[in-house]
Amino acid sequence: MESTDRFVPVRDGTTIMAVVYDGGVMLGADSRTTEGSLVYNRVSDKIEPIHKRIFCLRSGNSSHTQKIAQLCRLYVSQLGSELEQAPPVYSAAKIIQSFIYNYKSFLSAAMICAGWDPVKGPQIYTVPLGGTLVREKIATGGSGSAYMSGFVDTHFKEGMTRKECRDFMIQSISLAMFRDSSSGGIIRLVDITKDGVSREYISHDQLPLKQPLSLIH
Amino acid sequence: TQSTWDQGFVIKMAGSGYDYDVSTLSPEGKIYQVEYAMKATENSSTILGMVCKDGVLLGTEKLIVSEMMVSGSDRRVYSVTKQIGMVITGLLPDGRCLIDRAKEESASFQKQYGIPITGKVLADRIAQFMHMNTIYLWARPYGCNIIIAAFDEFGGPTLHLIDPSGQCFGYFGCAAGKGRQIARNEIEKLGAKNLTCKEAAFNMAKILHKCHEEMKEKKFELEMSWICPETGMTHQMLPKDMQKEMEIRAQETLEKEAMADVQSQIMKNINICLLYTSDAADDTPCVDLGGRRIIKKKK
Repeated sequence: MESTDRFVPVRDGTTIMAVVYDGGVMLGADSRTTEGSLVYNRVSDKIEPIHKRIFCLRSGNSSHTQKIAQLCRLYVSQLGSELEQAPPVYSAAKIIQSFIYNYKSFLSAAMICAGWDPVKGPQIYTVPLGGTLVREKIATGGSGSAYMSGFVDTHFKEGMTRKECRDFMIQSISLAMFRDSSSGGIIRLVDITKDGVSREYISHDQLPLKQPLSLIH
Repeated sequence: TQSTWDQGFVIKMAGSGYDYDVSTLSPEGKIYQVEYAMKATENSSTILGMVCKDGVLLGTEKLIVSEMMVSGSDRRVYSVTKQIGMVITGLLPDGRCLIDRAKEESASFQKQYGIPITGKVLADRIAQFMHMNTIYLWARPYGCNIIIAAFDEFGGPTLHLIDPSGQCFGYFGCAAGKGRQIARNEIEKLGAKNLTCKEAAFNMAKILHKCHEEMKEKKFELEMSWICPETGMTHQMLPKDMQKEMEIRAQETLEKEAMADVQSQIMKNINICLLYTSDAADDTPCVDLGGRRIIKKKK
């Protein structure tokens, strides 16, 4: 019955992914937000800006992750004012971690924080449900990430070019969206380099999985 | 007739009437309590700091109050974090309270942001804290000057001087306390930015000894610290034997310079005398034992 779905929280079922390539870091996400079996928003934006060169990807309970991202934005902007310089990505990740760790019994949030800073260059930090903080070259998250792990493990390599990275991410996220019912819609991509940030989305008719899949060699 | 209240406050000073609490401004626009706090540091131990080519130096001279005191227990230079050091002068208990505050600020910054606090941010926060004590009726200003030396990946080596009013500036070289004028001149002349910490440390010992010259009879000791490649860019006290050796060398150099000064003075005087006596040398009955010319008036 539909009535049981009414008390289910709004979730980013989701597929989220971040990859460091040669020259920057790229973030990608699907765009489906569900409330039980209802697709609440089919064009949602799970890539939140934290600072000029720092973004985070949200997965889990929508309201929890939105609040955490909002607070992270506040603290990071204060840090940026005090330092009078680009704040380190590590600090943004630390703030996210402190919320998820200290309130883990109340929250259901897993986030990926990625960006660029002048000291360490492009970085990715994952903060899963328990509140650990791990730095990685590639991070995936959300319910859809399980369906693309084989592909990612086979085809990821360090130091890809921007084009290779973009193609790799589009292929991976499409595979996840194909099999995971909580992921779908369009693919959103954000590219962060030292020179700037660019945003794009891949709409449904451009996704590579309309025909039978041909693997990238 | 004066009331008992008036009788308790017969103060004939410049700030008369406007200096009873820190929340009063005088008609000239001064806050006298803050100025009095600055006086507390004007006659206290000299502190100084220098930014060098590869790091930062801090130093202070302290009078030995009693021979019975355990040497090293009157600490002035403290490490606030691994890469930040602070030196205090003025009312020392006030200074130690500020060092505790600095340690708390650093710990809370690290806890929140995951990175060690930078020198500039810490200096700004301590300055704000000191300033807070100059605006409320129930508080008094901190009677101390502090110098914060730091090294971090954002600003490199930094040096900040904070005074009791809460004013905080970044410096390449700074000094406070009794010998500050001498120290400032010497630091400017030195140009520490082109010296390594090791070279500049010897000069710092020399400057501190020079600042102490007027009080030669009183015993004193130095406390010096540095942040440099020799310490892995962490804040450490200068090794005891190195400091001792530098002090001995500094003393010798100062004595030599003093002798050279005296000698050059003597040379100048001799020149003047030579001119006079050679003129009169031929006229022997007219020159007395002191070399002065005797001019006899001929009747």
